[in-house]
Amino acid sequence: MFSRLFNFNASAQVRRTLLNHRCISGFTKIQQGAKYTPAFKQYLGMADGKTGSYFHDVPLDLSLSDSTVNMVVEIPRWSNAKFEISKETPLNPICQDTKKGKLRYVDNIFPFKGYMHNYGAIPQTWEDPTTEEFAETGLKGDNDPLDCCEIGSGVLKTGDIKKVKILGSLGLIDDGELDWKVIVIDTADPLAEKLGNLKDVEKHLPGLLKHTREWFRNYKIPQGKPKNEFAFDEKYLDRAKTMEIIQKCNASWNKLISNQLPSDFEDAPMTKRASDIIHIAESAKADAPIPEKVNTWHYV
Amino acid sequence: MVYTTRQIGAKNTLDFKVYIEEDGKPISSFHDIPLYADKENNIFNMVVEIPRWTNAKLEINKEQVLNPIVQDTKKGKLRFVRNCFPHHGYIHNYGALPQTWEDPNVAHPETKAVGDDDPIDVLEIGETIAYTGEVKQVKVLGVMALLDEGETDWKIIAIDVRDPLAPKMNDIEDVEKYFPGLLKATNEWFRIYKIPDGKPENQFAFSGEAKNKKYALDVIKETHESWKQLIEGKSVDDRGIALQSVTLKDVPTFSAATADSIPAASAKEDAPIDKSIDKWFFISGSA
Repeated sequence: MFSRLFNFNASAQVRRTLLNHRCISGFTKIQQGAKYTPAFKQYLGMADGKTGSYFHDVPLDLSLSDSTVNMVVEIPRWSNAKFEISKETPLNPICQDTKKGKLRYVDNIFPFKGYMHNYGAIPQTWEDPTTEEFAETGLKGDNDPLDCCEIGSGVLKTGDIKKVKILGSLGLIDDGELDWKVIVIDTADPLAEKLGNLKDVEKHLPGLLKHTREWFRNYKIPQGKPKNEFAFDEKYLDRAKTMEIIQKCNASWNKLISNQLPSDFEDAPMTKRASDIIHIAESAKADAPIPEKVNTWHYV
Repeated sequence: MVYTTRQIGAKNTLDFKVYIEEDGKPISSFHDIPLYADKENNIFNMVVEIPRWTNAKLEINKEQVLNPIVQDTKKGKLRFVRNCFPHHGYIHNYGALPQTWEDPNVAHPETKAVGDDDPIDVLEIGETIAYTGEVKQVKVLGVMALLDEGETDWKIIAIDVRDPLAPKMNDIEDVEKYFPGLLKATNEWFRIYKIPDGKPENQFAFSGEAKNKKYALDVIKETHESWKQLIEGKSVDDRGIALQSVTLKDVPTFSAATADSIPAASAKEDAPIDKSIDKWFFISGSA
């Protein structure tokens, strides 16, 4: 029953080819404060030395022919701190989300430890909360950039920018809002060449898609929230459909960034971009300890 | 009893050692910590080797004097368990019961397999992540009989007495009640964990079923008796185990002075773990 083991090693040739498009050159990270404190902020440093926005200044770089796009990593796999691109802070640094003034950590849902993917966002996309973007669902967007789940073998780091291959998506309904989870793999991963669609994911990473759905269904239960639901009969959407979603959310972002939103919409994210005016200097401190309670395993 | 640890070297290196100390003096993690913390109430001492969700295969070393905890090696390389999806590292706080020995000279009447020449293993299921060298007081709930490469390798299932759920946990049924899915995951984990290293799937005795508390207590008693034979020098073959004790005055290998031969603490910052250890292995049919 457990006879087949999937362990892929790319040949040296493949590795060399991958290296050519692995690096998103020029970006740096600028950290302020200590990780796991409210003061923590990680800003995007631009190649020209300016301070940029992870939301607006990392190019989308969508390639329809290669099915690739850029991803900003927020949360490394197997970790709990809910880091995300801030909508409220000018230049949208990555901060740890808070709830009622307390730093937010995602619960461990047995058998998982923290997030089961490298979790992040697709820059220059926005899930528009002012319109029912995806008419078939009758739902509005969640006012965030598109989320993505990177499924490669490495543990990525907060603030990394990766070129990733698009594989499919899941239409999560989180607290009544549509919140796409785009499934991707780092193009630098040895497995990336072998994954072209969701069937390949199931073949090479058996059980991952099923567990991903269950993880998102259950992850807020320990906080006393109900199970989440999914649009499209809980089915994953394929790569082509997912690229349409990304294009649509990029168009929404264009409206956001060029001020074409309804005048009564008050909750718009900060749209400030890199300029000569604001320069953020590095002032990182050593990580603060993570509270012991975060280690609890929840059986749901 | 207050136990502390004495670390030598950096974690994730060949130099790393953790000795357990009693009142600041090194003792043997294998022989000098009493098996029973409270015999009447069946509370046992457990020596933690591997914290939950970590990969380094740390274990009580049998050959070195006073049996420090070191990282196991294979062909000279540090050993790490691989991540088998959906698991990350070990899924329990993993360790051993002191003053027990699974005698490799004797086949168990029910499993028909000889012991694996180690102290009996413990899977502690409480919510807190333990640390290497921690001495915990645990309540025993049951036992599973892994057959690891042909040897009996009991896995005692236990919970830290300080865990909020401990008062409610009294026997094996309570594990499924309060930790639904954990026994099944434990079974799967031990069957597949060596597959990424190219080894075959492990088997469990008793069709994989976990035995109850009473059975577990009997197994512990047997392995405690085997250890007594060992430490008294009466075993058929002691397999070269370092038997020095600094507290057991009646055994032939008692020597309080041994503690003085142990180097002073020299803990260094953890060495980085190779990135390849982050890989998740997907084993068909397991998840």
